[in-house]
Amino acid sequence: MNSRFLILAIVLTVTMSAAGARGAETVWSGLVMAENVAQPAAIPPELSPLEQSLKTLFGYNQFQIIGQSTKTLTSGQEDWAAWSRYFSLQVDARGHGKAGYILSLRLYKEKELLLESEAKLSKRSPLLIKGPQVGSGQLLLVLVVE
Amino acid sequence: MKTFEEKWTAWLDGQLSGPELAEFEASLPDKAAAEGEKREAKKLGALLKEQLGSRVLSNADFFNHQLRQRIESDDERSEEPAEASSTGWSIQRMFWAGATSLAVFAVCAVLVMREKQPAEQSEYLTQVLNARVDPTISPNATVSMFEAKEHAVTVLWTEGLQSLPAEYAAK
Repeated sequence: MNSRFLILAIVLTVTMSAAGARGAETVWSGLVMAENVAQPAAIPPELSPLEQSLKTLFGYNQFQIIGQSTKTLTSGQEDWAAWSRYFSLQVDARGHGKAGYILSLRLYKEKELLLESEAKLSKRSPLLIKGPQVGSGQLLLVLVVE
Repeated sequence: MKTFEEKWTAWLDGQLSGPELAEFEASLPDKAAAEGEKREAKKLGALLKEQLGSRVLSNADFFNHQLRQRIESDDERSEEPAEASSTGWSIQRMFWAGATSLAVFAVCAVLVMREKQPAEQSEYLTQVLNARVDPTISPNATVSMFEAKEHAVTVLWTEGLQSLPAEYAAK
């Protein structure tokens, strides 16, 4: 009888732990150059779920990735960066809550810090950041929990 | 007051006597036929006594042995279903089945509730907790943030950041 109680308790504990555990999730971070051109190139597959949102919110018809990073988060304390030739987006994860990951973001132009922010990134809601004007286009930062 | 049937039965058994016997025999319409019936009844009684009387068992031990065997086999047969039911759905097993079902239900309920728990809008969308630009590099820059709920995205919007030449768009 006692052994049966023990087995039932173990099964329940393991199952409840599995139910409560957060699976590893991947964050895609991208440096995106948005422009209006006569013959826009096809949107990259990483951005295709956001195509309509990007076009509507920023008013451009072409979006090209100039730097990107994909990071799998397990502890929620990871750091990573997405680089282009002149820009870098540095991300420090500072844990996760029920709503998502708390991220510290820094956008650098070479070694100059242009923008600094802290956000709680939800897995259901991407973060879009309007960066500086670059030529006739605009630098955008995109973070998505995949 | 005895009925005719009672008196008839008593007369057949020879239990009437005296004036009661005389009175009954006088009331019989056909005494000879009645006497004949009486004789037949007596014969039948004697035959029944002879046939149904207790018989002496010549091999009592063998009979007892057979009887015990029959009883034992009957007992075994009647115990078999009881044993099957005890191994099938005894109270203990029913308790464990119930407890296990409850446990499985609890786990499923937790999972479903976790999935279906209505998240508040602020939890559903990404939140920008703070943002700032370096005032020495972009002194006129401003930042604002908004949630585009129809697109399910959060936007951090900057204005007045230092503009850069086109070569900065290089990969």
